[in-house]
Amino acid sequence: MGIPVSECLLKLMAEGYTLDDYRGDIPPRWCTGCGDNGILAAVQRLCRDEQLPPERTVFVSGIGCSSRFPHYMNAYGFHGLHGRALPVAEGVKLRRPDLHVFVSTGDGDCCSIGAAHWIHAIRYNMDMTVLMHDNQIYGLTKKQASPTSPRGVKSNTTPRGTYLDPLNPLSVTLGVANVSFVAQAADWIPELLYDIISEAYHHKGFSFVRILQRCPEFMPHQFDPWVQNPDKMLLLTHEKGVQLSAGLSKVYRKQEAHDPGDLHRAREIASLSEQIPVGILYRDSDVPCYEDVRMVDRLHTPDVIKGVLEEEFDKFTIWPSE
Amino acid sequence: MNGNLSKLTSFHVTGIKPALEAEDAGERSFRPALFAGYGDLTKLRYDYPVVLVESAAGSKFAQSLSDVVDGILREIAPQGAAGERLRKHVLKLEEELRGLVSQKDGASLLDLWDAAEKSLLTRTEKAARDLLRDSLERARNALHVDGEVLDCDEATPTRFITRGWNVVQAAKIHAVKKRIEHLVLKLSDILRADYMKTEEARSAEIFRASVGTAYDEAFDFSAMSGILAKERAGDLLPDSRRQRVQAALTVLQAQRFHAPLHDFEQTVVRQPLYDFVFDSCAAALEAFRGRLPEMVEVIKAMSIAELEIQNLYRESRHEPFFERFDEGALGPDDLALFPSYLICLRDERIDPAEAGRIFELLNSDLPAKILVQTDDLLRNLSLSAGQTSSVGGLELGTMALGLNKAFVLQATNASLYKQREQIVNGLRRDGPALFSVFSGAMPRVAGVTPYLLAGAAEESRAFPVFAYDPAAGPDWALRFRIDDNPQAEADWPVHRMMYEDRDLQGTSEKAAFTFVDFALCDGRHGADRVPVARGDWHDDMIPVVEHLDLAEGHAPDKIPYVLMVDENDRLQRVVVDDKLIRAARRCGAMWHSLQELGGINNSHARQLLDREREVWEQEKGEELAKLAKRAEPAGDASPAVAPPPPAAPVETTIEVEAAAEAPSDEPYVETPRCTTCNECTELNSKLFAYDENMQAYIADPDAGPYRQLVEAAESCQVSIIHPGKPRNPNEPNLDELLERAAPFN
Repeated sequence: MGIPVSECLLKLMAEGYTLDDYRGDIPPRWCTGCGDNGILAAVQRLCRDEQLPPERTVFVSGIGCSSRFPHYMNAYGFHGLHGRALPVAEGVKLRRPDLHVFVSTGDGDCCSIGAAHWIHAIRYNMDMTVLMHDNQIYGLTKKQASPTSPRGVKSNTTPRGTYLDPLNPLSVTLGVANVSFVAQAADWIPELLYDIISEAYHHKGFSFVRILQRCPEFMPHQFDPWVQNPDKMLLLTHEKGVQLSAGLSKVYRKQEAHDPGDLHRAREIASLSEQIPVGILYRDSDVPCYEDVRMVDRLHTPDVIKGVLEEEFDKFTIWPSE
Repeated sequence: MNGNLSKLTSFHVTGIKPALEAEDAGERSFRPALFAGYGDLTKLRYDYPVVLVESAAGSKFAQSLSDVVDGILREIAPQGAAGERLRKHVLKLEEELRGLVSQKDGASLLDLWDAAEKSLLTRTEKAARDLLRDSLERARNALHVDGEVLDCDEATPTRFITRGWNVVQAAKIHAVKKRIEHLVLKLSDILRADYMKTEEARSAEIFRASVGTAYDEAFDFSAMSGILAKERAGDLLPDSRRQRVQAALTVLQAQRFHAPLHDFEQTVVRQPLYDFVFDSCAAALEAFRGRLPEMVEVIKAMSIAELEIQNLYRESRHEPFFERFDEGALGPDDLALFPSYLICLRDERIDPAEAGRIFELLNSDLPAKILVQTDDLLRNLSLSAGQTSSVGGLELGTMALGLNKAFVLQATNASLYKQREQIVNGLRRDGPALFSVFSGAMPRVAGVTPYLLAGAAEESRAFPVFAYDPAAGPDWALRFRIDDNPQAEADWPVHRMMYEDRDLQGTSEKAAFTFVDFALCDGRHGADRVPVARGDWHDDMIPVVEHLDLAEGHAPDKIPYVLMVDENDRLQRVVVDDKLIRAARRCGAMWHSLQELGGINNSHARQLLDREREVWEQEKGEELAKLAKRAEPAGDASPAVAPPPPAAPVETTIEVEAAAEAPSDEPYVETPRCTTCNECTELNSKLFAYDENMQAYIADPDAGPYRQLVEAAESCQVSIIHPGKPRNPNEPNLDELLERAAPFN
């Protein structure tokens, strides 16, 4: 039940945000040619198209190139600790479910130091949009191998090349209980990047989007085979997923009609090695959100807060013996 | 024709009671024959007694005792022989309970349960007592509901609907209450945050008070105050805003429509809450109108609070709006934020002015829920010519359908429980609703329980059950329901009646239950009936239902009778006078029109069907005639050849696939594919620029040399820049540049 008069007033008096309203004071300091720029543009477009009030929107990040994101947005931001973007975002959402929460994290931040939080955040399924910028390298600290670096990548920490196969963020996410939204996007297909982020935003629950992101500085040409040969990309389309424009269909001819409700096929797609799948792999809108499950139906009036505090203090109070 | 028959004929026509030779002296009591099977209802399991369950939601507010007991048995008694003992014991308790309900009006289920258990145990032999006690204890542990227990009587409709209203109201208004409290909290926060910036809030006294006495010596509160006072606290709220927030807060805290959910630090003294249950429309309307200005203030305060909390209140824009905001601006959505008004009326007390007010309310958007209870359904039947009566519940129900605006439910005490979902539905709706209920507690009917009489009123079409919900859809098919009536497709419901004949042989016959059967339950109509001794039975006597099927006045020699039973349950034919037959015809006609509205035997549909059938038959006939003609041997030998079908027009337009974009001489960027990587804009931000989606396009092709276009194309990682042909033919090294540009064009 709404408040009809003020709703109508709000609509009438809406300010109308433009893309500029979402730009932070600092121009992005990512390298020229960095895929992060495209992600930022897509998110700013989304904010404008959804007319999200900047004061009701929060961007939370950890550490890394990706995590500079909040600085470039004109909204609330929390540039947190390495690997701890998700717990901070969960705290925000739990206390302020009315805010739109976005998380920017990277392959190092999410899959290495923050891996434990990542796994549990999927299980908690709190309503937020998580953008995992995956450039397969630690860029901010000038090239160290990350969990998603392909085998053999030579870096400052692996001068003879990495020895292990990379971790697959999609199949990991799809393997966790309560997973509710998993998608993959590529920064070099901006149209689809926008559509996927938009779908993720509209999904109620933990929307995990892995974005393959080019790093021209430390991983140049890493994605060239796919950027230059659209036939190596596999675009996932479905009436319940994303649909392609005619122009995009012409360029990317390899397509698969994939129902995002099909978890088994989603896991198969996630494990493809030659082709890069782009689209929505999995979506289940019925998974309950932790903030709803744990929602307390009471107002935090000053009296309630005082009462709870008194109760807690009383547990530690030493009463003088009579 | 024997003497008695002619006397009966004369009675039927004139209504003057004859002195029959074989008739017993004195007035005898008769019941409709179909009632013979229903004596003591406390022995039967049916919808009553009903438990008005406390703390239940939606239509679960009422549960029949049988349903409650069945639920318990499902939980505790295993299927088959193992559960047999439990079932037997618990059903015995249920029977005991039924007997107690009529004696202890308004008692709660738990109290009745205890009383029934006690009396059952004392009456049981000692040997069987332990097992019985064990069964009842287990059943009691599985009993999860409690509440007032209702039997079917005169008070039932009011108590039933009032409880439903309470339950619906509580659920409906809960969200609003929460919203209001949220607003109060947020407005208080705004004021408190502002207060914290004042010097007063930073005074030593306030600090001292907030720390308490234990550490009084340890702190220098004046020094603390001095330090904090130097800090710039930020701007205080403008006076106009503070006053506005304060005013909205006061209105929300003082409003008397909603009870608070929590204990708040009330800064305003609240008057007693408003009452929303009335026993006349006049009082309800007066109360509503008197409260209107306060409702306007509450809506205004809520709207201002919403805007203030989101920091969107703009004085220049909103002030003029709120200044003009008055009663006229309240819409149905606004009214929905307040409780609805429940008005409980008795139909015999409705005077013409009150009837007018009922329609006034039903024709409005006001949230009025009106219950009209009818007790004496047949009072109009004894009116003589020239007498008129006021509008009763039965008429109100059908007339309200014509308003097309209000929710209407017509039901009887017997179907109230079955209609509980519809009741909740009507109470939940925002607009007005009418519940017209026949209680069955007719004043002059002895020996028949209200439940049975209410059921009889439904069966006999005297008080049909229907529901009209204008919110259910755009047409009558979705809005109107009469299918809860017994045998709704039929004119009169027909039942098979079993009885013993004179030779004590079981036999059965079909008997319809008509309006006449119902009317004869009423002692006032003793004058309209004459029992006929078996010896006087005659072929010209026909059942009333057959008589009603004959066109009026078409069978002057036929005498209508109904089957009734006397005190000893002996079957009798009872002849009735024409007055009752006329009333039955009126009732039947009313039922037919309800049937039509409900889609049964709809005359428009039938006419349309007839017309269509006629057209179809005519077309078919013509076609058949043609075929027959063709089948006749033709004059010439050549067989008839069907003319070749006309050649399909050749599709001359050929789908031309959009030609691939021809390479252009002009430079261009595939903007939708741009990844905003800044490569080109850093090269020349006048030549390349970003559009409103932060994607690159060529802003001015003359803002840079061809060389830059080629370099940009080369450095673009997604290869979406196409340099085209050079615009300046004198640019140096053009040949080389053209060669480099070739892969991108």
